[in-house]
Formats: sequence, structure tokens, C-alpha cells
Amino acid sequence: MIKAHQINYKHKEFHILEGVDVSLEYGEFLAIVGPNGAGKSSLLSVLANEIKSGKQNILFKNKPITAWEIQELSKHKAKFSQHNSNDIPLEVKDVVMMGRYPYFDAQPRKEDLEAMNNMMYETDVFHLKDREYNTLSGGEKQRVHLSRVLAQLQNDIAHKLLFLDEPLNNLDVKHQYKALEIIKKFTQKANSAIVVLHDLNLAAQYADKILLMKSGKVSAYGTPQEVFTAENISEAYNFPCTICDHPITNNPMIIFG
Amino acid sequence: MKTQSKLYFYITISAILLVIIAVWSLNTGVYDFGGKSAFEVLGKVIRGDSGLSLSDKYVVWDVRAARIIMAILIGSMLAVSGTGLQGLFKNPLATGDLIGLTSGATLLAAIAIVLGGHFKQYLPEAVQFSLVGISAFIGAFLSMMLVYRISTSGGKTNVVMMLLSGVAITAIGFSITGFLIYISKDDQLRDLTFWNLGSLAAATWTKNIILTIVLIISYIILIPKGKALNAMMLGEKDAQHLGINVERLKKQIIIMTALMVGSCVAFSGTIGFVGLIVPYILRLLFKSNYAFILPLSAIFGSILLLTADTFSRSIVAPSELPIGILTALMGGPIFIAILVKFKKSL
Repeated sequence: MIKAHQINYKHKEFHILEGVDVSLEYGEFLAIVGPNGAGKSSLLSVLANEIKSGKQNILFKNKPITAWEIQELSKHKAKFSQHNSNDIPLEVKDVVMMGRYPYFDAQPRKEDLEAMNNMMYETDVFHLKDREYNTLSGGEKQRVHLSRVLAQLQNDIAHKLLFLDEPLNNLDVKHQYKALEIIKKFTQKANSAIVVLHDLNLAAQYADKILLMKSGKVSAYGTPQEVFTAENISEAYNFPCTICDHPITNNPMIIFG
Repeated sequence: MKTQSKLYFYITISAILLVIIAVWSLNTGVYDFGGKSAFEVLGKVIRGDSGLSLSDKYVVWDVRAARIIMAILIGSMLAVSGTGLQGLFKNPLATGDLIGLTSGATLLAAIAIVLGGHFKQYLPEAVQFSLVGISAFIGAFLSMMLVYRISTSGGKTNVVMMLLSGVAITAIGFSITGFLIYISKDDQLRDLTFWNLGSLAAATWTKNIILTIVLIISYIILIPKGKALNAMMLGEKDAQHLGINVERLKKQIIIMTALMVGSCVAFSGTIGFVGLIVPYILRLLFKSNYAFILPLSAIFGSILLLTADTFSRSIVAPSELPIGILTALMGGPIFIAILVKFKKSL
């Protein structure tokens, strides 16, 4: 799906990413975790081809990501950004319809309207469709953008890739789980997702692979069982923790303090 | 689907309105056709009737009709350039006159008028003929680049910087134009006064043909950009993820608005506020959906300027009020309304 070798990224003289390797298979759900300022969002930006600092060596579907044509690429991958604009004087349905922009010229086709409606149902914003976006709460705005990003990838192309930067911010418990369910369902259809998460327990429950970062470097990579050990986490976050088994799913459960 | 037919509906309605205003405008004026209406005369002009007196033909065809068409072309382009700039800067205060494009164009046009005589003979003939127009375009383009560089970094526009750089460019333009007025000869002085006030009185069919060509070129590129400008509201990076070539889009808007503003200034001087008023009214109806307001501003701009121009030449007849007075009278309060609305976010 996507392979990145030795990513380096620095801003002024400060190294934000140093020699990071990432590789993701079809159908994988990768969670990037780590303390504040570890470089999680920067890594996601570099992988999603947002930062063009030149010598990045990223292969998307066996082709350098910079060699892809922009419009074609937008049908294969989508990104949910951490800082969504607060000022979009449009109705919710118009914002979600933006996800279909790669597919039509002037006039949305039937598929576009269907994709828009379906995704608004899935993310539970359909009842808000005629509201003005600017009047929504933070969590509702997040769901609108989630809906937009998902609508962007509703097509027949096999193996799509979804980047999400802290999609659970501002969401209540129900919608946090719902959002992760949607992402999980998406990856079960041989698509892949790279998600920056803060909640380690949710990451352990949903992700196939975990990438733990600290100070711009990978400090552990592997399945949740491999990565979520007391030593790894205490060291990365500089905070004591205990690991036990989740009573129902048997995934690792992290208890801090 | 539904939204699209709604757009065509509004376009049709406003186009009909524009035609009605044009008809009214053609029949408005002090000249007496000896009992006939202006339409009879126009009909004869079109049929090539030989019984038509030369002065009747001149008034209807070369004065009124030419002026109406010019008002339609200039109004349309000023409004579309305003809407395009607002999409680029993501702010409803960005218009050619407020951010200094008009001043830049006027300044270089003034230089071409006053100093053009000294170097004109060294230039190729085609350039000589359109020297003022080309200078106005270059002036608009340079101011645009300057304002964009000063006010925008990392895809975010600082609105205060944008407006203040407009003020700075206008101040420079004002002082140099003042100096040029001081050193200019009599006939140049008349030309310069015309730029500063703005008027459609100098309309001719040759100018209209040039304006039509500019309009067609820029609309082919700009009018389909409604979706892209909507996506820009998400931020440049997210627009890129939606398959929009942001860098190319920005370049196209910068060049095309400079071209439109430059041509408008070259042929009609500085007519202010059209690019502010029209998008403001359309936003009240359609929010900021550029897929609607971009094509509709093309027609509403014409409606606004044609109405204003017809009033300007009829309310104090047989004299004429400078059209800029009317547009500023409408634009000023709207400027204040936008400021009040954005008081917190500016």
C-alpha cells in the first residue's frame, strides 16, 4: 500500500522527524501514538504528500507519491485534518458534497448524492444537513468532516487509503466508538487506514498495528500486544503504567498512574 | 441536480432582468428623436435603413448602445474579479479597489499617458496602440503580487495586512498620479481626470470588442472554478486532498483578475465598489457557495453598473453625474456592514 523509507523532516534547525520507516499492507489499520510533539501529525502530513520537502522517499501503490496526478490521487486516498476550518459559511450538505468534487464537473451525479447521503447517515449528521456549518458544535463539525472524507473514497477502486489526524477530538463516547467502527469496517474491505490516536486503549482495541513515536523517532512498532508493554509506554510517555488483559476482548489494557 | 437547475433558474431570471434594464436604459436620455422612440431608430440601424438621419443613428448606436454594452461588460468583470479575489483571500473584503489593484492599474496607466509620448516611437505598433491597456494590466498584476506576498503566508491571509497594503499602494499611486497631473499638458490632464473619476462616457465599439475578448478568455478559465473556491475554504492542504491543484488555481486567479481589472481601468477609469457590492448581496442569498455566486456575479455586476450608469446620466440631465459617486454611495455602507459583521474575527 504505502512504503516510506527513512523519512527526515526538519523545520529551521529543529528535527521533527528523523529516519522514520513506515510500511503498510492492504487492509491494515495502523494507529500512530505517542506523547505531544512526538511528530505524529508531521509524519502523517509527510505520508499524505502535504509537505514537499524534496527528498522524501514514499511509494504509494508501488509508485512514488509525487508522481501521481493530483486528481487521480484524490480518488485513492483522503485525509482528515486535525485543524478543520471553523469558518465555512455553507450548509452541512454542501461541505460533505466537497468530498465528491473529484468525481463531477458542474453537476453532482446520482452516485454523488447517494454517497453524500449514505455517509451523512453513517456518521450521524444527516439530521443536520440543512444547518449552517458555522453554527455546529465542535464534535458535530468533526463528524461532518469525517463524513466528507469518507464520501470522497466511495468508489470502485480497490485498496484505498485513509489518513486521519486525531479524528476523535471533541467526540462523545458513542461517536468515538462509532467513528472507529466505521474506520474498521473500511479497512476490512481491503482498504487501509493510518490514524493518529491519543487513547491507547481504543488503539489497542481497533488497530492491527501500532507505531509508537517519541521525539521524531519510532520507539516501537508491531501488533498491540508487542508494542503495548509497560516498559515501552512508561518510557515513551515518561509516566508510570500497568498493563493487564481486557476482560472481554483480551487486548492489552493500559492503566496509567 | 436540484441545486443545479436552481442555478439555471436564477441565471435566466437575472438575465431577463438585465435585458429589461438595457431596454429602459436605451430609451433614457435627453436627445429628441422627433417623436420616434429609440427602439424604432435602433430597428432602422439594424436593418440599415437609408432614410435614417446620421445624428439619430449616432446617438442610438454609437452613444447609447455602445455605452450600455460597455456598462454590461465592465460591471460583469468588476464583480467577477471581486468574487474571485474573495475566494482567493477567503475574505469578503478583498476587492480590486480595496486591496490596491485599481490604484496600481491607474498609476501605470497615468504614467503611460503622460510619459508615453517620450518612448512610444521605440515600441512595436501593436503595443503603441494598446499602451495604456497593457500598462494598466501590468500595474494591476504587480500590485496583486505585492499584496499577496505581504498578506499571505502558509496559505493563511492576514486581513489587516491585506487591507493595509491596499492603503499603502493607493497612497503611492495617489502621490505619483498627483505629480503627473502637475507636470502634464492640457490634453493629458483631461485624460487623467477621466481615470480618477471613472466614466463610461468614452464607450466605443472598438473598446467593447477588446473587452469582450478579455471577458471570454477570463470567464472560460474562472467561471468553472466555483467548486475549487469552495474547497479552498477548507484550507489549502485539504483542497489539495480533494484533487485541486491549488498552486495553479491561485496563479490563474491572480493573472485573470489582474487582466480584468486592468482592462476595466484602461477603458473606464476607476469605478469603485462593484466587486464589493455584488458578492455581498449574493452572499445574503446563497451563503458563500461559489458555485452559485461566481456565475451569478457575472450577471448581477452588469445589472448593478448598468442601472447606476443610467441613473448617473439621467438624474441631473442634461448634465452627468460621475458614476463613481453612485457606486461609492452604495458600497460605503456595505463596507461598514461587513466590518461590523466581522468585528470579532478581524
